[in-house]
Amino acid sequence: MKQAVETKPIKEEASKAIDSKTQQQIKKIIEATEGQAGAPIRVLQKAQGLIGYLPREVLEIIAREMRIPLSEMYGITSFYSFFSMVPKGKYVIQVCLGTSCYVKGGQKIIDTLKKELGLESGGTTADGRFSLQTVRCIGCCGLSPVLAINEDIHRRVKPSRLKDILSSYR
Amino acid sequence: MKRLASVEELNKLVDQINKKLSQREKKTQVKVHLGTCGISSGANKVLAAFQREIESRKLTEVVVLKAACIGLCDREPVVTIVHPIKGKTIYYDLSEDKVPKVIEQHLIKGKIVDEWKLNPDDPLLKLQEIRVMHNQDLDPMNIEEYIARDGYQALAKALTQMKPEDVIAEIGKAGLRGRGGAGFPTATKWTFVRNAQGDEKYVVCNGDEGDPGAYMNRAVLEGNPHSIVEGMAIGAYAIGNVRQGYAYIRAEYPLAIETLSHAINQAREYGLLGKNILGTGFEFDLDIFPGAGAFVCGEETALLISIEGKRGNPRQRPPFPANKGLFDKPTTLNNVETWSNVPQIIWKGAEWFSSVGTTTSKGTKTLCLVGKVHNTGLVEVPLGTSLGKIVFDIGGGIPNGKKYKAVQIGGPSGGVIPIEYLNTPVDYEAVTALGAIMGSGGLVVMDEDSCMVDVAKFFLQFTRDESCGKCTPCRAGIPKMLELLTRITNGEGTMEDLATLEELAEMVGSASICGLGQTAPNPVLTTLRHFREEYEAHIIDKKCPAVVCQPLFRAPCQHTCPVGLDVPGYVALIKAGNFEKAYRLIMQRLPLPLSVGRVCHHPCEGKCRRAQIEDPIAIKHLKRFAADYAFNHGLEYIPQIKEKRKEKIAIIGAGPAGLSAAWDLAREGFQVTVFEALPVAGGMLAVGIPEYRLPKNVLNREIETVKKLGVDIRLNSPVNDVESLLKDGYQAVFIATGAHKGDKMGIPGEDLNGVFDAIDFLREVNLGKDIKVGQKVAVVGGGNSAIDTARVALRKGAKEVHILYRREKRDMPAIVEEIEAAEEEGILIHCLTAPVKIMGKNGKVDGVECVRMEPREFDKSGRKTPYQIKGSEYTVNFDTVIEATGQRPDTTYLSRDGISVTKRGTIVADPRTLATGRKGDFAGGDVHTGAATVIEAIAAGQRAACSIRRYLQGEELTPLVERNGYEPIDVPSVMPTEDQLKEKHRLKIGEIPAADRITSFEETVLPYSAKEAIEEASRCLRCDLEAGE
Repeated sequence: MKQAVETKPIKEEASKAIDSKTQQQIKKIIEATEGQAGAPIRVLQKAQGLIGYLPREVLEIIAREMRIPLSEMYGITSFYSFFSMVPKGKYVIQVCLGTSCYVKGGQKIIDTLKKELGLESGGTTADGRFSLQTVRCIGCCGLSPVLAINEDIHRRVKPSRLKDILSSYR
Repeated sequence: MKRLASVEELNKLVDQINKKLSQREKKTQVKVHLGTCGISSGANKVLAAFQREIESRKLTEVVVLKAACIGLCDREPVVTIVHPIKGKTIYYDLSEDKVPKVIEQHLIKGKIVDEWKLNPDDPLLKLQEIRVMHNQDLDPMNIEEYIARDGYQALAKALTQMKPEDVIAEIGKAGLRGRGGAGFPTATKWTFVRNAQGDEKYVVCNGDEGDPGAYMNRAVLEGNPHSIVEGMAIGAYAIGNVRQGYAYIRAEYPLAIETLSHAINQAREYGLLGKNILGTGFEFDLDIFPGAGAFVCGEETALLISIEGKRGNPRQRPPFPANKGLFDKPTTLNNVETWSNVPQIIWKGAEWFSSVGTTTSKGTKTLCLVGKVHNTGLVEVPLGTSLGKIVFDIGGGIPNGKKYKAVQIGGPSGGVIPIEYLNTPVDYEAVTALGAIMGSGGLVVMDEDSCMVDVAKFFLQFTRDESCGKCTPCRAGIPKMLELLTRITNGEGTMEDLATLEELAEMVGSASICGLGQTAPNPVLTTLRHFREEYEAHIIDKKCPAVVCQPLFRAPCQHTCPVGLDVPGYVALIKAGNFEKAYRLIMQRLPLPLSVGRVCHHPCEGKCRRAQIEDPIAIKHLKRFAADYAFNHGLEYIPQIKEKRKEKIAIIGAGPAGLSAAWDLAREGFQVTVFEALPVAGGMLAVGIPEYRLPKNVLNREIETVKKLGVDIRLNSPVNDVESLLKDGYQAVFIATGAHKGDKMGIPGEDLNGVFDAIDFLREVNLGKDIKVGQKVAVVGGGNSAIDTARVALRKGAKEVHILYRREKRDMPAIVEEIEAAEEEGILIHCLTAPVKIMGKNGKVDGVECVRMEPREFDKSGRKTPYQIKGSEYTVNFDTVIEATGQRPDTTYLSRDGISVTKRGTIVADPRTLATGRKGDFAGGDVHTGAATVIEAIAAGQRAACSIRRYLQGEELTPLVERNGYEPIDVPSVMPTEDQLKEKHRLKIGEIPAADRITSFEETVLPYSAKEAIEEASRCLRCDLEAGE
């Protein structure tokens, strides 16, 4: 039977050495969250904020320092969609496919962007400039269809305006 | 800032703040609303502009302040100006460049800029009941503004004047139910936790608002964060043994996290969080836990496990979190809005809270009204407000003249509520009874361009992606359901698939561990319940009525056309200057293009994608152009009949249904005889539609073409007995006698001289009879017949023509262009009025007594039912009254064996095969469906012809229509150029000016020239070619 489910393989980058400065920063993060509820998730959030993504080596460091099995850290990382084990582009384009945005043409926007950037959802351009993702509701439904590029939220987006929007992100 | 050590100190602080504020309020306050949407629309720039200008102009009597979002989502940036004496003005759609004018005109000269201000009567302002959202005009980053408005007074009252049990009792008396979706009574939940064993308990706030289409929690977090802090502190006190609370906020809401975080820090600073709050010994602190992008973490147990730092997998309950929750301790998890309601209930009392709402659903609810609606926004209404009021009165209805289809409520756990239920009160019970859930309150309005099967698929894609994977029914069941839905939207579905889908849905819903899986089937179940025919259209007819599921069609225009006309094809041929070929292509599917190109209601244009750029292509007018061209150049198309067949077929009625059935059958070689009772052929085309819309000599030219194909049309030949046709050797009969009997209104005076039925009137005029109308004519009704009648009456010499319609203007079923043309001609349309009596003198009409109507609740057609306003009767003089209030078939000529007729007079026939209960007899067009449109009648004729052919060949009567004998016609595959995609409005369709046209029956709509036709045709986007990619 035809497989209708899209499975996204968790890709991993080639082995990356983490320099000692970053290692220190990670340790500091772990210390700061000691005793806080949900520390593993908080640490991952801060580590990703620091490095931009979570390579395996970083998970290993965190696992070791927090005395949590690597498999568990990996399980948490792969569960939450905010965590990424591959580097993101300089600008992360998140196209909202929430109900309101969908009803107002969101699918056409992501299709146009896929064509324009030559990417599948979850991919990053070869020059590292753009990553493309779909998200399920940024919460600005009154302005749908919406897309976010890093912290900027673009509202009432029309496919014909996409080229212009992208060109302002160098 | 010194910590407040007692309630007295709090109250002293309130006085101090109020002194400061009253000074501030003596000035003009400019409040810039800075929610996420406002900021993304440029509100920060507007703020900066105001600050800059006010400072540089040294306007010391003006103060610029920050405020939260007030829910006018699609009108951002919004600014409220509060003048100490003149009051409040709300400006919307502001931008940096508009600021100087606001300052100069309003702030300096004191004159409001009317064109940018929100009308105080705007339904978005007037029809809301603001309670939860009552602090949105304050600066959420300033705790003192909250304190000045009774902030933390409820906490003080609870801590010093109430016992914990009293607090819970008050919440119970108020009737507060969980606002996150399930609506569980809050006091009950708190009582469970209070009674649970243990001395370490938790209060948690569910801010993981993941439902797409819902963002009211975000607005409260960003706009009224202290209400949550205070609410949770009160809850902690009421439950007892709670020293720590958590607010789980989804990561997609960075501003909300920042705002709440700031609020918490300020509360700590002021001693309203932490140890010994207000000197009472009560200790409570609050921390934020940011989510990491998992919808399932909105589920109670998953959320709590996530706070513990683990994967957000839900678990079985019991044990309930009330006994074993966060860190295995008794916990209450409540929604943002639930917490936000708590302080006001304690401060203002349970009676205040429960003064609005229904018996079981008290209080207000914030709702996100989004989607295909004029006024999108965050609205707060009492529970129990009807859906129709929210969508139409507050929301302003559906834009672009589209038809309302359904409201999707409750996110992926919810369901759709269609048009028949617009009176449904939005409360927990009523919505559940319809198979949906109220959920968190996201209302996504959908119109005729949304496919319900696609909507179900959309939600299943969502729940499949967000499933945590722990339990099999959800993890494996949802993708299987999605697979079935995908097959259906790809045109590969079967009726067995539908049965399997339903079975799976029941299973997944009942066997999943958590709310995500349990409610994931809801979109499927509700769409199946309310829109089953849409699923069946995809499966049986391979048609997507909303024209969304791309695998089922090439171009939307062609797909929505009842006869499937190759619109992109003939438009492309016109563009290429090949007019005759365009006509020939049209004739492959439509034998009456001269007429249809003049009178069709053009559903194709309603789906034309060019409209997303500016206007739809003038498809109907281009069709007329091609047909006119062919006939004017003597190029009429008569197909070759391959092989003559011996079977004889009788068709009763020479209207569009009968004529197209005759055409198709004659093409196949059958012997076709059409029996027409009237002295002319054409049905409503001849005797309904007036001459100035469709000249009869034009109609007759194409009827001649039908006759040239060999069809025997016998005029003045009514059929009194269908049975006798079989005796005369006809092997099959197609009954297509239309709906020509006008409905009477049933009011006194109808039999006076001067009262006509519209259908009779139009027919007599069209047949050239001598019909006299008076000077002042009243036409009753709002459909196409009413408009036709009115415009004909004018041309017959009436000085004044008035249309009386009992509903609102937007409810009139007539084609918009016709209504506009009528008004241009000076016809007056009076809405919300209905005649109750026709008065006469000496047996002749001399007046009509009317009563004013008031629209109230919605009926099943989605229009408001009009009620007479007693005592508002008034009389108007008229000398002619024409009733155009409905028409129905007259089937008295039918003998009843095997053929049933409904109460409305329509013949019962299978909707797809058109077979009646009697073998060999088929029925289609208005006689089957009731009064409908020309193109639908033509499609019915073709369907009947196909069924008759199959019947005569001994084949099974299957639902899909197959028409044989096409001449293959090449169509150019030229995509539009870059230039042709630039904005360019539709070429105006010319009409004889109103003053000139009302004195004659000359055709009013003027044709395109060849140059114009090519130009208009060049706007076509060739969706059919794109689909091939």
